[in-house]
Amino acid sequence: MTDESTSSPPKRRRRVMPAGRALLVILVALLVWAVLYAPELKRSADAADVGTRRTVSLAILDPLVWVTDHTGLTAAANAAARAAGRDPNGEIGGDSGVDALPPAEPNQQQQHHHKVVKDTDIRGPTPDKQLRVAVVGDSLAQGVGFAADSVFKPFWAEVFKQGRISTGLARLDYFNWMAQMHTIVDRADPDLTLVMIGENDNQGMLYPDGTLEQDVGTFDWAAHYQGRVEQFAKIATSAGGHVVWIGLPNTADKGRWDFIQRQDTIFQAVADELPNVAYFDSWNTFAAADGGYSAFYRDGTKVREIRSPDGVHFNTDGYALLTEKAAQLATKDFNLDPKTYAP
Amino acid sequence: MLFPTVDFALFFCLVFLGHWVLNHNARAWKAFMIVASYVFYGWWNPRYIFLLAGVTIVAQLSAMVISRQEDQRRRMWSMAVGIAAVIGPLLFFKYYGFFAVNVTNAATTLHATLAPPLIQVALPVGVSFYTFMAISYVVDVYRREFPVASWADTTLYLSFFPHLVAGPIVRPGELIPQLDIQRDPRHLDIVGAGWLILGGLFKKVVIANYLAAAIVDPIFGEPARHSSLEIGVAIVAYAVQIYCDFSGYTDIAIGVAKMLGFQFPQNFDRPYSARSVQEFWRRWHMTLSRWLRDYLYIPLGGNRKGTVRTYENLMITMLLGGLWHGAAWHFVVWGGLHGLYLIVGHWKTTMRARGVLATPPDTWWIHALQWASTFVLVCVGWVFFRADSVGTAVSMLGRLVSFQGGPSTLVTAPVLLAIAIGMAVQFVPRAPGAAIRSAVSQLHPVPMGIAAGFALFAITTLGPRGVAPFIYFQF
Repeated sequence: MTDESTSSPPKRRRRVMPAGRALLVILVALLVWAVLYAPELKRSADAADVGTRRTVSLAILDPLVWVTDHTGLTAAANAAARAAGRDPNGEIGGDSGVDALPPAEPNQQQQHHHKVVKDTDIRGPTPDKQLRVAVVGDSLAQGVGFAADSVFKPFWAEVFKQGRISTGLARLDYFNWMAQMHTIVDRADPDLTLVMIGENDNQGMLYPDGTLEQDVGTFDWAAHYQGRVEQFAKIATSAGGHVVWIGLPNTADKGRWDFIQRQDTIFQAVADELPNVAYFDSWNTFAAADGGYSAFYRDGTKVREIRSPDGVHFNTDGYALLTEKAAQLATKDFNLDPKTYAP
Repeated sequence: MLFPTVDFALFFCLVFLGHWVLNHNARAWKAFMIVASYVFYGWWNPRYIFLLAGVTIVAQLSAMVISRQEDQRRRMWSMAVGIAAVIGPLLFFKYYGFFAVNVTNAATTLHATLAPPLIQVALPVGVSFYTFMAISYVVDVYRREFPVASWADTTLYLSFFPHLVAGPIVRPGELIPQLDIQRDPRHLDIVGAGWLILGGLFKKVVIANYLAAAIVDPIFGEPARHSSLEIGVAIVAYAVQIYCDFSGYTDIAIGVAKMLGFQFPQNFDRPYSARSVQEFWRRWHMTLSRWLRDYLYIPLGGNRKGTVRTYENLMITMLLGGLWHGAAWHFVVWGGLHGLYLIVGHWKTTMRARGVLATPPDTWWIHALQWASTFVLVCVGWVFFRADSVGTAVSMLGRLVSFQGGPSTLVTAPVLLAIAIGMAVQFVPRAPGAAIRSAVSQLHPVPMGIAAGFALFAITTLGPRGVAPFIYFQF
């Protein structure tokens, strides 16, 4: 494990071997690893986009998992994972960058659920009772979460970063955002939730048990997706909290525009329909003057690079700008006190 | 294609098989290895292979033109044009965005109409590394240190997949001669190679990825929300993370090359055991250090033109070394800091030689003091390297020395253990590792494979989920 060195030759000579035997060592090592790690590999394959690669991976892994299960190795591997501090049934993408939520309080759920028919104001924060801001969604929300840590002032606001990489609303079998949003509301009780999700949703919609709800590309997909967006927003506002739903920005790849615009139309429709939900139009805010994709943003006389070179995400500057604008929208629509975030 | 992935494992099994099957037929072997290396590179983005091919063609044509010139001035001009052509794509991909934004803003401030097109350019992975290798080739041909190689050899020298994306930066004389030697398939040091690969994976997956997720990213992301203790631990954790990340990658690269019968130069030699910054640079990213020395510092005049010019050359070399990592001021400050450290170190050595400064006694506590001060100086540099701006780095260091209290929830026992392991590998003697490798090499292939499989399982289970890219891929 220490750095490679040609000095200090060992007293006993190291034995070398022919390439054929070396290949045998490699194949045995990979096979043993694959058998021991099969349950994790299968869960990872399960979480992949529906398609040929996933189908082939599962076809290879299913027999391996059978072997692992029937030889008791799964239990041993799970025990090893627990000993290493990893939940063997945890999320595939991991929970890196996700803040711990406060512990659940008994009967807390019953204290909420007031019926709201029109937009209300967000409560003013005090030093004793800071504003509680949750940031939820996929990898874009992870960026917003880190930016929110800087944009919202620690004295007035507590930020709960809950963005999870590679998640979305289509694959509840991979990550159940409905259940997670319930947990966030019950335990963090956010006054304001910034939602940015949907980048990974161009695929079939599956129920939490893995059965298919609606294939992508079908006529009814949009209606089913809108149902999930609406359900999610209702959960997020169920305890009296407010939501700024950040729409998806355009991407460098024009081939994705139609789908993203359909998603944004759904997000906006749900925000228009539900109380305490506002929609932030990131597509038009950050598009080029001709409506196309731009990695740069002209702010008065200054030009700033705001997008990541992958053509999908923002860079640090871009996330900060996006979060500031989302907070400003919360001020405009829900009277969020600007002192919580203004410089 | 990333090393610690199933994709790479499958790719490598096929390449390993093809490599040894075709080993006796040099032409077929080279063609196979070039195709394999281009597939490896194109896995990220197939368009990148055109850039790699373009750099190869330009480097080879430059070398051919240089070698045909007898007149020294013409040789030099040919070399200069060749280097400019080779480095052009790197300058464009790495610095154009930075240049365009700053020129546009300056022009707007001055009410001028000058506005270069704002194009965001994604940096192709590995371009900094193979560009430096291409420059090595052109300059070595110019210096008559290496003859012009064949097209196939140059193509394989620049694209050979084990070193392609993050080094080590191999010189033509170290790799090209190996391409024409028929490797002996009967004597493969599988245990030495496996040790490097598994050790590299452990450093990357278990130590570096864990520290990044557990403490470094949260604290460097928002230092204002954390205590001085957390910031101090995060800085040391980053020092360990970047070492384990980069040296882990290098170990895997060297191990993979070793399995194919190739020897790569060493890239790290326990850098945090150094007792001076000069020594640190002899131990850290050694192939970049010697590249900067041989192709920048010495051509600038090195230490042959007086004290002031030596200091200038040191500073220029380190500033450009900083800028090589990216078009951002915090990298320039990092390079400048190390330039300053080296200048002070050089000055002290000179003063001691002249008897102006006393030479410190050769005692253990002086050694400990030298080691600690070197480590602190290097860590201060890492703050500028890792932070997203100079302002963030300064505020982080300010918060560190202002002894901010508060909870330090991110300083946990596993974090401290990971740091301790990362530091311990700088100091453990090499002999026990050699003895273990020797003992393992006596095993039959099947038990050896089973042991390696269990080790691989332990590494993948101990590390956080997901595949984190190597830090040096962005450079």
